Amino acid sequence: MKTKVILFLLLAAAAVSAAVLLLRGGGEDSPVARITRDGVLLEEIDLNEVDRPYTLTFADESGSNTVSVERGRIRVSEADCPDRVCVNQGWISDGAVPVVCLPHRLMVEIRGGGGELDGGAG
Amino acid sequence: MAGPVKRVRRITLLALLTAIALTIFMAEAQLPMIPVPGVKLGLANIVTVYAMFALGPGDALLVLSARIFLGAVFSGQPMTLIYSAAGGFLSWCALYLLRKALTQEHIWLASPVAAIFHNLGQLLAAAAVLRSWAVMAYLPYLIIAAVLAGLFTGIAAQALIRRLDGIKL
Repeated sequence: MKTKVILFLLLAAAAVSAAVLLLRGGGEDSPVARITRDGVLLEEIDLNEVDRPYTLTFADESGSNTVSVERGRIRVSEADCPDRVCVNQGWISDGAVPVVCLPHRLMVEIRGGGGELDGGAG
Repeated sequence: MAGPVKRVRRITLLALLTAIALTIFMAEAQLPMIPVPGVKLGLANIVTVYAMFALGPGDALLVLSARIFLGAVFSGQPMTLIYSAAGGFLSWCALYLLRKALTQEHIWLASPVAAIFHNLGQLLAAAAVLRSWAVMAYLPYLIIAAVLAGLFTGIAAQALIRRLDGIKL
């Protein structure tokens, strides 16, 4: 009895998650990237206003991350942490998921855009 | 005579399980990264599930805590301790509650539930550190991954318990 309830809840959780991922979407008129550390805003970039690609480096006592900015998209291109999860994630161009560097408490998120899934998020 | 022998046997068994869990954990860390952050098989949890159901919640917590602490030390990333500890503690709570609810043949079901709570704990810790709920966008990915990986490790733990049942450890 309890087994069936647990199995049902597991399947329900997976189904709801899949539905959320499939339905998450929307427009992306003015994607604005926000780079924060410990929740404190370090940099805010309107990605539609970027004329030529450039990089920014954010460093503190825990380490450094280099962020690459292009028109409409942003990524962490270098990090001196051992696992480099943030670098492997690649470009993001919408608000679906933020790029997070947990060891350095740094986050790059996009606001104002929609959640259309792309290669970088999948 | 029986007392000290029993104690030595127990501490040896727990040390052995910790060593096995740590070895699995470190070996898994060498595997190439999956593009979605935080997604991994969590093979070391086979040992946690085994310890919870075959030995008890106290022993499982000891093995889990030792593995998490040593894993953070050996991987050279002390920051990960916060996330692993939050995930580990929540998944231990889930296993603890399921211990009484599940029969011997359905232990495998505990693992995906524990995996979901592990990922939830990690995300909550990340949200606290980053002071933002934006990381919760990963939750759907992590739930699906937890169910798949949890079923895999759960079935492995079930097989382990069945085979070790007849052996007096």
